[in-house]
Amino acid sequence: MVIDLKRCTGCFGCVVACKAEHHTPPKVFWAKVLRNEGGKYPNSTRQPIPVICMHCKEPECEKVCPTGATKKRADGIVVIDHKKCVGCRYCVVACPYGARYFVPKWSDYFTGKDAPSSKYAEYSRKKWLEDSDKGVVTKCTFCVERVEKGLKPACVLCCPAEARTFGDLDDPNSEVSKLIKKKHGFRLKEELGTDPCVYYLPAR
Amino acid sequence: MRLLSAGEVNVMAETQQKEMVCAPRAQLEWGFGGRRKIRDGALLLALFIGGIGAGQFVVSAWLLSYPLGAVVGLLFVAVGKSAAHLAYLGRPSRFLRLFMRPKSSWVSRGLIAMMFLIVFGLAYLAPYLAPMVGIDWTAWSMTDAINGLFLGIAIIAAFIVMIYDGFVLNSCKSISSWHTMLLPVMFFVYSIAGGVAMSALMTIFDPGGMLNTEDMITQIIRLDTFLLSAMCAMIVFYIMNLYSSDLTGRESLRRLMMGRTAVFFIGLALVTGLLVPMILTAFHQVEGIGTVATYLLAASAILELAGDLSVRHSILKTGLHAPVM
Repeated sequence: MVIDLKRCTGCFGCVVACKAEHHTPPKVFWAKVLRNEGGKYPNSTRQPIPVICMHCKEPECEKVCPTGATKKRADGIVVIDHKKCVGCRYCVVACPYGARYFVPKWSDYFTGKDAPSSKYAEYSRKKWLEDSDKGVVTKCTFCVERVEKGLKPACVLCCPAEARTFGDLDDPNSEVSKLIKKKHGFRLKEELGTDPCVYYLPAR
Repeated sequence: MRLLSAGEVNVMAETQQKEMVCAPRAQLEWGFGGRRKIRDGALLLALFIGGIGAGQFVVSAWLLSYPLGAVVGLLFVAVGKSAAHLAYLGRPSRFLRLFMRPKSSWVSRGLIAMMFLIVFGLAYLAPYLAPMVGIDWTAWSMTDAINGLFLGIAIIAAFIVMIYDGFVLNSCKSISSWHTMLLPVMFFVYSIAGGVAMSALMTIFDPGGMLNTEDMITQIIRLDTFLLSAMCAMIVFYIMNLYSSDLTGRESLRRLMMGRTAVFFIGLALVTGLLVPMILTAFHQVEGIGTVATYLLAASAILELAGDLSVRHSILKTGLHAPVM
């Protein structure tokens, strides 16, 4: 995936799209937008930085996982097998991007309780428990269920500024590869050797 | 139906605001005050109990030849550490899976070492424990060569149990205050010191035991003096390492020295757990062996244990992820 920081307006549309797609419980953000403030008055800047799981080629989370629950698929997407995860959270601490979340239990947005407060909350809980489990770690899956059907991930589809582009990094002729080459794409925390698969295009 | 109160919504919003800032980010998973407040503290207790248990096993079985101390150390590891780990896990029923990736995960390595310690430690102590449970005969005795082999394997496993949590923290590359080889060494020194402190305490609780002799107490005090100096040196090295580290490391140091964690680090770990025991041990060396001095030794041991727990707590609490940009 390529995220163009010049286009991102920090509208949190990707965050909401992800929440609507995956029904993540409160305090769980598979997609988030960080506020980065720089410079000094009167020349200070404020740049939104959308962050998701980087689906690294050398994922720290996979290395440290004691159970083998975290796996890298052949297409490069890093996934968690919720039936194998024990909830030790070593991966949450080891991930340099803060992309992983431990979910002790599902809770309602409005009451904070285990019981759903509305029909939508009931549906939301059902959907969440179908794809996940309580007491395990969860994270962005690049909307693997959509990608397998040839669709774009929800955050890419819903971005109103079209700041996100999804594609095959291994194909030199793909749109993402061309964008990275043309606009000097960079990655977050490259120095850690995780080889992340999410590129950013500079804001200026 | 009761909806969330305004206060509760504010707390939630505050958490989310903190989450959405590009700044050093505190790890909230390990230690007290995390996402599950109290229950996540079980991991800290697991590190502490495992460390002092393994330390006491090594000190009692190897250095002091004191089987009862080794039994207590082994119980700490087998019961205390295991229970704390199970309490911490999100899915405790799947705990066996934790042993599956020793090739790449320090958690697996540490827990396998823990199993070795329990199995071979029990095998080593079997001739000592058997008469206590009414069994007159065991295939080997405490002085047999095979028992020496069991002890050797158990001691190697205990060393791994003492240091592996340092390697677990060290493997988190984005947390500057943890990504240092000082931590395994520091945890080793603190574990051995914890073992010595536990052995010293047993001189009070086991008055008829072999530990309650002048020679043994003198030996414990010598060991303690050396370990207190080593602990002091480790703390100085750790602080220097944080000071010369990147911005996130220095923020960790600031929180260690001035934040809420400073109460635990300066108050409990440095003053109560290091400075006071040093004074008490020095007093003990001047006064010699006597009832008052022995009680002072016990007080020093309790304070050292409190210091050990506080150091581990402070290190976990000041673990900050470097900002992503």
